[in-house]
Amino acid sequence: MSEPTDPISKEGKNRSTQHLDEMTCLLYVERQLDRARGQEVSAHTEDCASCRTLLRALERESRLLTRAMLEEDEPLPTRLAEFQERARRSLQWIWPAVLGLAATGVYALYTTYVEPWQRQLEQAGFGGTNLLSLMIFNGALWKGWQSMVTFLEVLALVTLGGFGLALFRRRIRRGSALALVLAGFCAVAGATVALPSAASASEVRRGESAGVSEGETIKGDIFLFGERVRIDGTVEGDVFLFGHDASVNGHVKGDVFAFAQVLQMNGQVDGNIRMFINTLTIRGTVAKNVLAFVERLELESAAKVGGSVTTFVQSFALDGSVGRDVLIFSKHLTVSGKVGGEIKAKGDALTINSSAEVDGPIYFEGKNPADVSAKAKLASPVQYHKMERKPRYMEGHYYVWRVIWTAAFILFGMVLCLLAPKFAEEAIRSAELYAAPIGLGVLVFFGVPIAAIIACITVVGIPLGVLTLGFWMLMVCSAELVVGAVVGDWILGRARDTWGMIGRMSLGFVIVRIAYTAIEQVHVAGLLVGIGIWTWGMGAISLALYRRLAPVVTPSGPYTQPLPPGTTVGGVQPA
Amino acid sequence: MSVPGITEPTEAIAQARAGDAEAWGRLYHDYAPAIFRFCRRALPTREDAEDATMEIFMKLKDKLSQYDQTRSFSAWLYKVAANHCWDILRRRRIRQDKETDDLESVPLEHPEPSQLEKLIEERSSEEVRRALEKLGTRARMALVMRYYSDMTYDEIADALGVRRAFVGVVLLRARHELRQALGGSSALAAGGKA
Repeated sequence: MSEPTDPISKEGKNRSTQHLDEMTCLLYVERQLDRARGQEVSAHTEDCASCRTLLRALERESRLLTRAMLEEDEPLPTRLAEFQERARRSLQWIWPAVLGLAATGVYALYTTYVEPWQRQLEQAGFGGTNLLSLMIFNGALWKGWQSMVTFLEVLALVTLGGFGLALFRRRIRRGSALALVLAGFCAVAGATVALPSAASASEVRRGESAGVSEGETIKGDIFLFGERVRIDGTVEGDVFLFGHDASVNGHVKGDVFAFAQVLQMNGQVDGNIRMFINTLTIRGTVAKNVLAFVERLELESAAKVGGSVTTFVQSFALDGSVGRDVLIFSKHLTVSGKVGGEIKAKGDALTINSSAEVDGPIYFEGKNPADVSAKAKLASPVQYHKMERKPRYMEGHYYVWRVIWTAAFILFGMVLCLLAPKFAEEAIRSAELYAAPIGLGVLVFFGVPIAAIIACITVVGIPLGVLTLGFWMLMVCSAELVVGAVVGDWILGRARDTWGMIGRMSLGFVIVRIAYTAIEQVHVAGLLVGIGIWTWGMGAISLALYRRLAPVVTPSGPYTQPLPPGTTVGGVQPA
Repeated sequence: MSVPGITEPTEAIAQARAGDAEAWGRLYHDYAPAIFRFCRRALPTREDAEDATMEIFMKLKDKLSQYDQTRSFSAWLYKVAANHCWDILRRRRIRQDKETDDLESVPLEHPEPSQLEKLIEERSSEEVRRALEKLGTRARMALVMRYYSDMTYDEIADALGVRRAFVGVVLLRARHELRQALGGSSALAAGGKA
């Protein structure tokens, strides 16, 4: 076939009749002629009745065609009407899968972390219903937590209501659900701010030497900050103590919460003591429980603990008496005093002297069997379990849990992508910049927790600090997913839609997990690679956030739509 | 070109792009009838049209991210539909090679206008629809693209794989075929050659 030439005749007229040919007339009717040629045709048809009639006939023919094709309103076949539903139903399998994965993730979280802690704390005599209420919400740190609990409960209800409304958003005006959630949030926030704070009754004392002098009585809680902190008087509320050398010689009717280098408990505490101390010596009486993270703990012969003792310690000498159980993770534990309940110990060595008296069973998991004096009064012999350090990767259940956690993370990523697809894509694109996100990630990974802890220490900033830490942890969880998504893009190319993005993220995440599981066994390399992944992913999220929040300068001036190419002038457009 | 009674679904497109199944459902609800009708005109059987409509919407789901929102959604939709239908026809090898050859001879005749007017006056829409079904695939495809979905010459050229300059020729030849199928005189059907 030869190369075709432009079919539109420059002459445009039938040479025998001097009339316009049909091709030219059609192009004129269809407004496909250029301006000059169009004007020529217009001029010709003013004088030529035949060509004018032909133009009119062609126009009518066009209209007849359009009408014929549009006129018959054939209803959409049932198969097509149902197709939309089928297409939707075909994706419904995803929700049971999502729920299944979610249940698995929650189960994994609960059985791995929450349940063991809860069990141990219950054994330690805390006897509450859950870890959070015991450790935080019951007022150990901040009385305002009670308000926060109410706030969170209401917020949760409002959010749930919002989600419910969002599910039925087709039936209500668009945006109403979001507006309701926001309105609810604002209302709850406003009400919370307006409510009087329970923490306002606390007293704060600072100085080189801070404390409560002998004969003095503090009616509420007290915060003490100083190089040397000493309580010789009476505190009717809780004591929050931050210092280097501290001693409690007086009477505390509430709980004692302490951060200190050295603390001597010589007085009487009617509540619990919870502390992070280097060296703790107890000579007085603690009516309830002791929870301590210490290097060295001495419970001297005069000391009495009414409840339980739970401690993470390097060396623990128990010469006094403990009313209930002892749960201990220590290097060396020496028992010379009296324990009313059981002892559960995990560590290098356990020594039970002749003066020891234990009313409950003793469980010991260690490197060597316990050294037990024959004269010690024990309810039953020590149940010893040799501690064996077997590499995790040698155990089958390690891989099972690895798979479960991978599934849970993919689910988490899926939810994030569906909730905020644009932001997810922005984070992935940011990660592909490599240097910038990694640099920013280092800053965020190390800097944010430090800032949050500083905020927490100032007490007033506790909510802000906790929220910041929560957000930081969310970023840590999301970081690996972002990196996975980038790896997925490397393999399959960029995704065009949300589900493509989720697919790539899942694939990449699985690959990252497999690779990381292998590298993780090499301690330093595993740690470095882990930090690398976290910093990269967190940096990408931070960068995307920054770009979202940074002001954008847009050029001013009205938008003018460009003319389509090959704009021509011609006759009347057919109807 | 837009589907009658439907404004540009900018929001629904943005939501569907973000994976909103409801928004996608709305788009399908609004545009599926028009696309089905397009396929019905372009393809030989009703079953073909139904299959093609579903395939087009499945394809649209993947292609939605490529849609340029500054342009008409309907026009883009028809373009995708036209390409898909033409692919179906091409795969079936029912496209006639002679149609390509015909493009090289440009009709430069001047038919008798009164005969054409008479033919148009006498024929009903129903007869035109029946005649359309008798046309060759390219002729029918070209007429549907131009007079049903109002596609531009550039879009038609792109879909049919011919040079833009030949789109007019394809359309004119299709009209001639149609006139012949409508029982018009041989002069009208041949562009005035007889």
